[in-house]
Amino acid sequence: MHIPDGLMAPAVAALGWAAAIVVLALTVKVLNRKLDDRQITLMAVLAAGIFVAQMLNFPIGGGTTGHLLGAALATIILGPFAGILIITTILIIQALVFGDGGLTALGLNILNMAVIGSLVAWAFYRAMRGRQEKVAVFVAAFASVFTVALVAAAELAISHSMSAGVYGIAGEIAFPAMAVYHLFIGIGEAIITSGVVLYIGQVSPGMLKLHKPTWAVKPKEVGVDA
Amino acid sequence: MRELFRKRWVKAMACILVIFSIGLVGYYIFSAGYGDGLEATMDEAGVDESEPVFSGLLDYGGNYQASLAMGIIGFIVTLLAVYLLARLLRKNEA
Repeated sequence: MHIPDGLMAPAVAALGWAAAIVVLALTVKVLNRKLDDRQITLMAVLAAGIFVAQMLNFPIGGGTTGHLLGAALATIILGPFAGILIITTILIIQALVFGDGGLTALGLNILNMAVIGSLVAWAFYRAMRGRQEKVAVFVAAFASVFTVALVAAAELAISHSMSAGVYGIAGEIAFPAMAVYHLFIGIGEAIITSGVVLYIGQVSPGMLKLHKPTWAVKPKEVGVDA
Repeated sequence: MRELFRKRWVKAMACILVIFSIGLVGYYIFSAGYGDGLEATMDEAGVDESEPVFSGLLDYGGNYQASLAMGIIGFIVTLLAVYLLARLLRKNEA
């Protein structure tokens, strides 16, 4: 879902840069009060893992593919601000080193995939985790991808209407197409994220920052608030 | 940086790279020839991708060996970038 150069109207791309810079400044402010050695190492390894996972597109049918976004995975393990920093760094490396995603659209890509992806995942996960942990992870991962797709569709539609069709894609094409493709990509994201979080919860439950999931708690520990 | 190379983290990184090297086989069998959801949407709308402002220092490679090498390079660059950035953030606070 990396937006290339020249697809969005310049005003929409500029707005994306402005919004991304504001949120990144807040992220830096919040994060530097919170990081310890273990979190820093985990952030680095997780970011590197998400980078290579993003290279592995999976087929969703109809000659289309998707790949892990990773915002939900990073957010569930390390919190939303670490998630924003991780995905932002990956997007910058992809754009500068590998030419993946346009430089002019980098602000929008950061806003969509890093900021909105992480915050939506965090909101769904926080709202649902008390009732059913595994479902919360699955829904948070799906919602992060699907919401980002709808936001990107809105940006395409706004670009199209404000430029009289020079940039973007008409809303009547952008919304249904992005929604249908990312419905399946979101399910893939949810399956991969659930699998990784479940695995980490079992082999190293201490890595899960926001809470200790119930499936990672030994029987004698049940009832003890982590 | 010392902690980064403790045995547990080295094992985790090795695991990720092994999974990547296996997953890359599946990528080249099933997915390499197809675009993602946004590219498919652009195709449906008849929108062509314009020339990039900057095309990057490297690319992801067009075959298994090249992509594996690029993946390992990207893995190391990302690992170091996030590690150093996070250390720098904390140092500034101190």
